[in-house]
Amino acid sequence: MTLIFEPLAPDHVPPELIVDFDFFKIPQDVTDPVQIWHGLADAGAPPIFYTPRNGGHWVFLRYADIVEGYRNHEMFSTRGAQIPPIEPFPVLQPNGVDPPEHDVFRKILAPMFTPLAVRRMTEGLQRRAESLISGFAGQGQCDFIADYAAKFPTATFLELFGLPEERLPEFLRIANVFFRSTDPDIRAANLLEIYAVLEELFREKERNPQSDIATTVLQARDADGKPFPWQDIINCGFLLFVAGLDTVTNTMAYVWRYLATTPDARQKFRDRLDDPAAFLLAIEELMRINAVSNIYRRVTHDCEYKGVQFRKNDRVILPNTVANRDGAIFPDPQTIDLDRKVNNHVTFGVGPHRCIGSHLAKREIMISLQEWLRQIPDFELAEDQDALSVFGGSVMGFESLKLRW
Amino acid sequence: MRVVANLNVCQGHARCEDLCPEVFSTDPIEGKVVIDQPEFPPELEEKVRIAVRNCPEGALRIARGGKL
Repeated sequence: MTLIFEPLAPDHVPPELIVDFDFFKIPQDVTDPVQIWHGLADAGAPPIFYTPRNGGHWVFLRYADIVEGYRNHEMFSTRGAQIPPIEPFPVLQPNGVDPPEHDVFRKILAPMFTPLAVRRMTEGLQRRAESLISGFAGQGQCDFIADYAAKFPTATFLELFGLPEERLPEFLRIANVFFRSTDPDIRAANLLEIYAVLEELFREKERNPQSDIATTVLQARDADGKPFPWQDIINCGFLLFVAGLDTVTNTMAYVWRYLATTPDARQKFRDRLDDPAAFLLAIEELMRINAVSNIYRRVTHDCEYKGVQFRKNDRVILPNTVANRDGAIFPDPQTIDLDRKVNNHVTFGVGPHRCIGSHLAKREIMISLQEWLRQIPDFELAEDQDALSVFGGSVMGFESLKLRW
Repeated sequence: MRVVANLNVCQGHARCEDLCPEVFSTDPIEGKVVIDQPEFPPELEEKVRIAVRNCPEGALRIARGGKL
C-alpha cells in the first residue's frame, strides 16, 4: 500500500522514513498534549523520521540524538529554524544565533540569571506568590492559569525589566495574543505592538538608566567599546519576553494538574516544605516529566547523519518530553519518582543554548508551590473540567485549569 | 579523591550545586561551575558521585591519585 501525502516529502526522504505527524494537532480525545509524542515510537515511527506537515520537518525520538541535535550547532543551527518556516524572522539575541556569535549576548545576560542572582530575587518572588494566592485562597476555587500561572511569570518579567506592576494587564493581554492567536493578521499586528512597547521601554531606559535587565543590555558594549546595534538590543528584549512567560505558565499548569489528581504527591511535597533540598529534588522530577517545549533546529549543509540523508535548510524538531522519557537513560521512565537520584533531563535543553533562565524558572515554580501548599494544602480538579482544551506546538499546554478546595 | 570540571563543556545547569553545595558552587559572572573543595573528604563521596552523575553535560569527573 502506498501512502499519499499532500504536500509530498522531498525526494531525499525515503518513503520508509515518512510519518504523517502534525505536532500542532491534538486529537479530541487526548487530554494531555504530551501524549501525541509518546505514541509515536509505539506506533512504529523510526527514531529519526520525516513528516511533511507544517512545511516538512524531521523528528528525533532518541535521547542521544536529541542531545546531539542541541550540541552539534555546526550541523543543527538555531538560526532561522522556525517550524513552519517564517521568513524573514527576527534574529533573536542570543538564542537565534550560534557560537561564537551566540556567546556575546549570552555573556551579557549570564550574570543576571546565575543561581546567586536568582537567590537574590527570592524575597520578591515570595511576596508576589503570597499576594496573588491570598487573593483567591478564600474563594475555594480558581482558574489556575488565568488567576495565577499566567500572571506570576509576567509580573516577574515586569520586575526584571524595571516596569511598574500597573502594566500587568497590558502585558498579559499582548502575551496572550502572542501565545494563543492563530490569525495571521492579528499575529502580525501583535508583533508590531510588542516591538513598539519594547522600543519605548528601551528608549525610556536610555533616558533613565536603572538597575534592571533592560538597562544592562542597553549599556553593554562590544569588544571595541561600542554599543550594540539597536535591533539586536530590541530582539534580545523580545527573546526575554517570549522565553520566560508561556514556558513557566504551562509547566506550572502541568505540575498543578498532576498534584490536583495525586493526593500522595501533595502529601510528599507538604512533608518537604521545611526541607529545601528534598523539595528541590522532587521539583526536578516534575521538570523531567513535564517538559513542555519542543525545540527547532535547521540543518546547515547537505550531509548524512546516522544513516539518514539531510539536506541544507531541512528543519528538525527536538521534543524534550520524548528525550526525558527515553528508557535507555531513565529507568522506569513513565513513573514519577519524586526521589529519583539521577535525573539528566533536557527540559531546559543542553549545550550552548541551554535555557539561561532555568534557575529563575525553577525558583518561580518552587516558591509558587511552597506558598500554594501553605495557603491551600489540599485541592482537586473542579468538576467542570472535561471541556479542558489543550494545544500542541513548540510549547504545549492547557487553555484553562479549574481547581477547587 | 579529587573532582575536576571541564569548563568548556559546563553550561551552568548548577545541578551539582543543588546536590552537593559543600563542594560545588556557580560563578556569579559566567554562571559556570566552581569547585570549592576539589579534594573532598570521604564522607562527601556519595554526594559528589550523585552530583557528577547528574551533570547533563557530563562536565564533571572524579579523579584518583591526581589523575583524570
